[in-house]
Amino acid sequence: MSSIHVENLSIKFRIYHDRSPSLKDYFANLFKRQRQTAYSDFWAVKDVSFQIRAGDRVGIVGHNGAGKSTLLKALCRVYESSDGKISVDGRIAPLLEIGAGFHPEFTGRENIYLNGAILGYTKQQLSVIEPEVIAFAELEEFIDTPVKYYSTGMYMRLAFSLATAMHPDILVLDEIFAGGDAAFMAKARARMHDLIDKANIMIMVSHDQQLVKSLCNRVIWMDRGRVAADGSPEDIVERYLAGKLNG
Amino acid sequence: MKTNARSFLGELHNSRNVLSQLVSQQLILRYRRTALGYLWTLINPLLMMSVMALVFATLFKADLKTFAVFLFAGMIPWNFFSSVVTQSGTSFINNEGLIKKIYLPKIIFPLSIVAALLIDSALSFLALFAIIIIIGGSLSWAVLFIPIAYLMLFFFALGIGLITSVATVFFRDLQHVVLIAMQGLFFLTPILYKHDALGGKVAWLVGFNPVVPFIELFRAPLYLASLPSPSVILQAALLSLSSMFIGLLIFLRQERKIVFRL
Repeated sequence: MSSIHVENLSIKFRIYHDRSPSLKDYFANLFKRQRQTAYSDFWAVKDVSFQIRAGDRVGIVGHNGAGKSTLLKALCRVYESSDGKISVDGRIAPLLEIGAGFHPEFTGRENIYLNGAILGYTKQQLSVIEPEVIAFAELEEFIDTPVKYYSTGMYMRLAFSLATAMHPDILVLDEIFAGGDAAFMAKARARMHDLIDKANIMIMVSHDQQLVKSLCNRVIWMDRGRVAADGSPEDIVERYLAGKLNG
Repeated sequence: MKTNARSFLGELHNSRNVLSQLVSQQLILRYRRTALGYLWTLINPLLMMSVMALVFATLFKADLKTFAVFLFAGMIPWNFFSSVVTQSGTSFINNEGLIKKIYLPKIIFPLSIVAALLIDSALSFLALFAIIIIIGGSLSWAVLFIPIAYLMLFFFALGIGLITSVATVFFRDLQHVVLIAMQGLFFLTPILYKHDALGGKVAWLVGFNPVVPFIELFRAPLYLASLPSPSVILQAALLSLSSMFIGLLIFLRQERKIVFRL
């Protein structure tokens, strides 16, 4: 059984006002008695705590810059917490931005192996799923062509097929619903629902309120890095849309 | 500390598949769609060194064949070292897209560069070695020392590569500084000349140059047909251990900050 515990999680970004400090500035500042602060701290996520248990389908809503994606990336270990603790139990699939790590010069097949390795698949697993990935992406003809010659749709199809080829315990989604033509979209949506059904835990960030309501059984509303509300989808989405914190 | 080291090594072990993919990416990509392909990795340094051998043998009025063997033996470790230091500087910056999207143990980025360069270097060593034999270099059992020399050079270069890779993320100017510094270091390293030939005001600098023992490690078996002296081996071993220690220390301390500064 998978679970996620987040305790007082805070993530700080340092924003430099002018530019990144050069080596010269660094040493110059070392010897200055009063250091002028050329940066300010920005807390993208501040003091967030929650627990997610097996079976939870969590949607995260909030305005742009509320810290939703930063929170997801922290769960996937991309960002280290500045304060607080995250403990994740279960294999987590980073489906944040599919196609990250594709190399344009490599062929589709080579990218399956390169990107597959980055996604954490073993070589044996990859050789097993390779035909299925190619078939799902409908790229049999072009699989040995460098992906820089692919159309956007072809690229998306390959990335989506590969990223969704395995069933993770914990599924983390950041606003992805694959591109491609209508037929592929339908197929992709069916696969996505299957993946969500089989996942032990699903966490998604989306601005599509209908989607959140239909897929999730719990919604967290993030506002300026904090959890503003946490509860049933109908209730929270309604309040979020109305812009009201309390009832 | 013990569990930290274990989880660090465990993670590295788990991501060996990514590591080997990144290494082959580096090896394959450079010469894709060129007629000679990977052969360029061999031809390029061969031609470069031949030109240098020709020019400097004439300049120094030295016997071309002897000088060529002398030069090649010094250039092999130098080329590896200097490419590691300059190329690992941009290893995190060039993979920014990946690092910000997916968690991977950060050390695989500089490590993949050093591993790919080691393969390049070993192959061009074989080609050069063939040439050394053909033009009358001496073949002796001392050549069997070369893998050990490579091992020590590998860890020495990796340690310094880790430092430059981390430092360049924080101070972007470094990638340009390093290029110039390596140019200068080249002339302070006895590659074109013998160790005692550089006199005058800068001679003492050669004494402090940490690359010197590694040049000797390769030059003794290839040029002098003898094993390096024990003191040189000891120096090189100490240097590679301390380089690796300091490199890892800096890397492990800064690792978590890298993603915020890309």
